[in-house]
Amino acid sequence: MLKWTTYEGNSGVDVLDQISDYRLGLTSETDVSLDEANARDQRWWSVLIELENISINQFCAEVSAYESDLLIPVAYDQADREKVLPRQPVAIYARRRLIKVLNQNENQYHVASLQLGALTPIDTLSFDPKPPRLKPINVPDDTVVTAVVDFGIAIGHDCLRKGPTSTRVEYASILGAKSVSDGSTSVGRVLERREIDRQLSDWQFSDLLDEDGFYQSVGIVDWNSDYVSPVAMNSSHGTSVVSLAAGIPMRDACENRPVICVSLPAEIVEDTTGRGALPTLYLAFQILSQQAARFRCENGSKPPVVFNFSFGNSGGPHDGTGPFSSLFEYVFGPHSQWKETDQTAWLTLPAGNLNLSRLHAQTNAKDTHLDLVVMPDDQTPTFVEMWLPVSPPGANQPLTEFRVETPSGQMGSIPSTPGAKSSLVDDCGREIARLACQRVGVLTDRVLVTLSISATATLSGRTTETAPQGVWAIDIEQPDCEASGPIEIWILRDEAVPGLAPNVRQSWFGNEDYKRFDKFGAPLAVDPPHNPSPVRRSGTLSGFACGPTPVVVASFTERDAGLSDYSASGPLSARAIPPDLPRTGPDLAAKADISNVVPGVLAAGSRSGSWSRISGTSAASPKVAQLATQEIADWQGSARDWVTAVVQQRPFYLRDKSDVYRAGAGGVRTE
Amino acid sequence: MSIFPQGAHGGYGGYGGYGGYGGYGGYGGYGGYGGYGGYGGYGAPSENPVLAGGLMTSHDGTTGAILDHPAEVVAGVANSTENLPRLSAAVRAAIYQAELAPTIDIIYDTNTVFPQAVLRRRVSENPLKHTFQMQDMVSMTAPTMDQFQAQMEQVWGYSRIRTDRAAEITTQVSIPVPYFSAIGFMDAGRTPYTLEFLFAALAFTSSAYQRMKYTLAVKRPIEFSPQLQPMIPTPTHGSLPSGHATEAFLMARLIWKLLLHSKAPQYCDTAHWGEMLMRLASRIATNRTVAGVHFPVDSVAGCVLGLTLAEHIYSLCCGGAWWQSSFVGTQFAPEEDFDWHKIYRADGDQMKTSAESSVGQWLVGEEMPGDPGAKQSLVLSWLWSKAVAEWQDITPEFL
Repeated sequence: MLKWTTYEGNSGVDVLDQISDYRLGLTSETDVSLDEANARDQRWWSVLIELENISINQFCAEVSAYESDLLIPVAYDQADREKVLPRQPVAIYARRRLIKVLNQNENQYHVASLQLGALTPIDTLSFDPKPPRLKPINVPDDTVVTAVVDFGIAIGHDCLRKGPTSTRVEYASILGAKSVSDGSTSVGRVLERREIDRQLSDWQFSDLLDEDGFYQSVGIVDWNSDYVSPVAMNSSHGTSVVSLAAGIPMRDACENRPVICVSLPAEIVEDTTGRGALPTLYLAFQILSQQAARFRCENGSKPPVVFNFSFGNSGGPHDGTGPFSSLFEYVFGPHSQWKETDQTAWLTLPAGNLNLSRLHAQTNAKDTHLDLVVMPDDQTPTFVEMWLPVSPPGANQPLTEFRVETPSGQMGSIPSTPGAKSSLVDDCGREIARLACQRVGVLTDRVLVTLSISATATLSGRTTETAPQGVWAIDIEQPDCEASGPIEIWILRDEAVPGLAPNVRQSWFGNEDYKRFDKFGAPLAVDPPHNPSPVRRSGTLSGFACGPTPVVVASFTERDAGLSDYSASGPLSARAIPPDLPRTGPDLAAKADISNVVPGVLAAGSRSGSWSRISGTSAASPKVAQLATQEIADWQGSARDWVTAVVQQRPFYLRDKSDVYRAGAGGVRTE
Repeated sequence: MSIFPQGAHGGYGGYGGYGGYGGYGGYGGYGGYGGYGGYGGYGAPSENPVLAGGLMTSHDGTTGAILDHPAEVVAGVANSTENLPRLSAAVRAAIYQAELAPTIDIIYDTNTVFPQAVLRRRVSENPLKHTFQMQDMVSMTAPTMDQFQAQMEQVWGYSRIRTDRAAEITTQVSIPVPYFSAIGFMDAGRTPYTLEFLFAALAFTSSAYQRMKYTLAVKRPIEFSPQLQPMIPTPTHGSLPSGHATEAFLMARLIWKLLLHSKAPQYCDTAHWGEMLMRLASRIATNRTVAGVHFPVDSVAGCVLGLTLAEHIYSLCCGGAWWQSSFVGTQFAPEEDFDWHKIYRADGDQMKTSAESSVGQWLVGEEMPGDPGAKQSLVLSWLWSKAVAEWQDITPEFL
C-alpha cells in the first residue's frame, strides 16, 4: 500500500537540490544488504558544484576529511585552482558520502549549488594523471577551428582526415573510454593528432584503414564495456554531426580546418533528462576551451573557433538563467576567456525537437489540472519541473497548492514553500515518488516544485522501488493567479537514445483538451487560437538554448518550405524583473529534412565512405556551424548579429517565416 | 527442348538451380547437407509419368524395325577431364568430393587436459601401390572454460548492436555468396565454374570443420547464460572453430587466388580486392558473435582453419607448397578480440608464421614444401583452370 508523508515548511530534508537528493537515495537503504549499501557508497558520480568566494584549492583543503571521495579533474590547471570568484562552477567527481554533505543547505564548504551528474565507471577515472600538455599548435593564418561536443564520434572517418594516415583532429577526448596508465586526463582517454596518426598508420592495410581495429585500439569501441559506442554501428550521432559541421573530403588535404572534440560518455547521453550531463558538459567545455587556446596562426594571432553542441533537453527555468544557459554564458559570454585572449568563439545549439512532444504546460488559471501519463515498462525515473513566476526572496507571494494523485488513488500535496516535501512510500519504506519545493536563487529567483517518480518497471534482481504506471493527476491551485505570472511546467525528456538502452519510455501530458490535428488531419505545429489547454507547443525551446550568447538553430523541411513540425518554439518564460529575456526563440532555421516523405539530410555514417541520414535540429545546428566557419574570421560583430546578416545574404523562403518564435530571423541556405 | 535440366548448366538457374547444391540453402540448418538429398531430385524430370508415357508412345510410333548395326561406337576415354564438361554439375560435384575427401583425415587426442583435434593432409602417395603418408596440417586446441567465460563479456558487448546487423546476420545464415559477389563479380551466368569451385571447396570444408568441432566439443555462448538469447537459432554443433569463419575465409582466399591468377591488372596491381574480401569475411564471422552464437575466439580458430584449407585446395589444384597451422586456444588472451590481420596478409597472400597474446603464442604457421611424389588432382586442376579463365580479361586476340 502506497502512502504519502508530508513535511510542512522547512521540516523536510533541507538540501540544495531535491532531485539530486532523490536520485542519490534511489533504492532505499532499508532493503539492501550491507554489502550493496557499501558498494553504492563506492560509486563515483560526476557532480557540478558552485563555489562561493573560495578557490578550488581552498575547497579541497576544507573537505580534506573526504579526500578519498573527491577527484578534481586535471583539466583545471593551477591558475583555475587558485581563482576565487563570487560564483565558480566546478565539475568534480565524488562519492555519495561527500555529495550528501555538499548538498546540505548552508553547508560549511561554500558550495552554493549542486547538481548531481551521472554515475561514472571507476575504470574510466584516473586518479593520478599527468597534467595535459598545452603546447601551441601552429596553423596557417586562415585557420578556423571547429569544436564539437557530442556522442559517438568516428574520429578516423575519412571526412576528418587530410590523408590516409593523417587526421585533421588535433585533439579528441573520449570521456567514456577506459583510462590509460600514462594518460593526461582524469576521465576517459585523450587522443592527440600524433597518436591518432600513428594509430591510423598501424591500422592501414592495402591502402585501407581497418576501422574496426582502429576504434578498438584507441579505446572508442570496447566490447568488454557496459556500453558500446555507436561508432561500432552503421550510424552514430556524433559522426553525423561532426561531418556536417566540419566534414571535408580527404582528397582536399585541407590544412586550415582542424577539429577538436569531446565524445560524451554513454551514461550521460542515455539520461536524456540532461541532468546527468551538466557536470560533464562543464568539464567538456573547460577542456575544449583550454585546447582551442593552443592554436597559433603564423602571424601570431589565435584562430577563431566555432563550437557545436547538438543536444537538447526540456528542463530548466527557460528564461536564460538555468544551469545550462549559465554554462554557455560562463564559457562564451561577455566575461569569458575569449575576450581576454582576443580569440573569437561562437557556439551553435539546436532549438530542440520537442514541439509536438506534449512535455510543456503553462498556466495562470486559478485551478489547473494536468494528466501526467507515466508509461508502463519505463525502467528510468520520471521528473516534472514546475517553475513558479519570478519572485525575489522575501516577497510575500501567496502560496500555491500542488496536489498529486497516483493512478491507484493516493493523494499528496505541498504548498509552494521552499523546503516543503511529501514522499510517497510503500509498505517497505521505499520512496516511490517525491513532491518537493525548493527555491532556485541567484538570477533565477523562482520557486521550483519537482515531482520525481521512480521507474515503473525493473529487471533488477534486487528489491527495487517501482511506481505505478498510468495517469498521475497533477492539480495546481493558485489563489492569486492574476497578480503573479504563469506557472511553467516541463516533463524532463526520458527517451531511448539509438544504440543505447531501450528500456526508456517518455511520459507526456495527456490532457484531452489538447488539440493535435487541424481539420485536414495534419499535425498542428502551432497552438491553435483560443487554446483552452494548458499543454503547449509554445515555450518548448530546448532548456540548453535559452541564453543570450549561443546561436540557436531551428529546422525546416526543404521541399515543404516550412519549419519542421517538431522544431521547438519560443518564447521563453516571462520575467518581471531583470535580467531581461535574452531571446524570443531560435535565431534562424536551417535545413534538416528534404521533404515530409524523405526526412533528414545525408551525413557521414560511422565508417569511411558510408552515409547516414540524420534529422532534427541536431542536423540543422552543425550546418549553421559549418557556414559560420566560412564567415567568422571576417565578421566583426557578435555571432547573433551575424545570424541576421547571413539570413539576408542567403535567404531560404519559409512559408511560416513570420513566426519569430519558431523561425527567428528566418531560413538560411547552408548548401 | 531440354529433357534433363541438369544438362550442362541449364539447370543452374541461379543457385537454387544448383540442384543438389540448392540444398546448401539448408546450410544454415545443416540439414544443409541433407540438401544433398537433392541429388535424388536429379532424377525427377525423367520420373514424370506423363513424360515417360510420351516417350514410350513416341518410341513406338517412330522406332520401326530394329537395325542390326546402326553405327560404330568408339570407347569412352578413361579418366579424362575431357568428359567433365559433359557431366551435370551435380555429378561433377560428386567427383570433386571424391578427389578432395581422401586428401585429409582427422585424428584426435581427448585423453589430455586440453583435447586436441588434428587435421592431417595426405602428403605423398604411390599411385601404383596406393600408399601414402599423412602429415599434420591444422592442429587445434580449444581455450579453457575460464577463457570462454571471460569472452562472454565481449559476446555481451557485441549483442548490443544486433539491431544494426540484423539484416546481414539473417541473410548470412546460408552461404553468403551475394556478399562476396558484391566484391568479386560473380554470377551464375558469368562465373559458373568459379561458383562450382567454391561450392566444391565448401562442401569439402564443412565435413572437415564439423569433425573438428565434434572432437573439441566446445559449448556455445547460449549455454553460458540464459539471458544472452541469440537472435538466430543456435546450431547444435560445437562452437569452435566457427564454421562461418572457416567458410568465409576459405571463400575469400580462394576468390582472391583466382583474381590473382587472372593476371587482370585491376586485381593484381594492388591488394585492394584481397583486402576487401578479407574484411568481408571478418565481418561475416563477427556477425555470428553479434548474433550470440559464437565467441570471438571461435572466429580466430575458424579463420586459421579456413585460410589453411584454402591453401590446401589451391595446392591440390596447382601443386606446390601447402601450409601447416597450429592454433593453441589456451594461449589466446580472453580479453582479445578477433583480428584477422594477425593471421594473414592479403598483400602477398601470405599467412603469418606466428601470433601472440599476453598469455603466449597461440598461432604457429609454416610453409610446407610440395611433395614431388604427389600428383595434383587433374579433376581439380581442370576446374581451377576453368574458374580462372572466368576472371581473365578478354583480349583482342580472342575476338
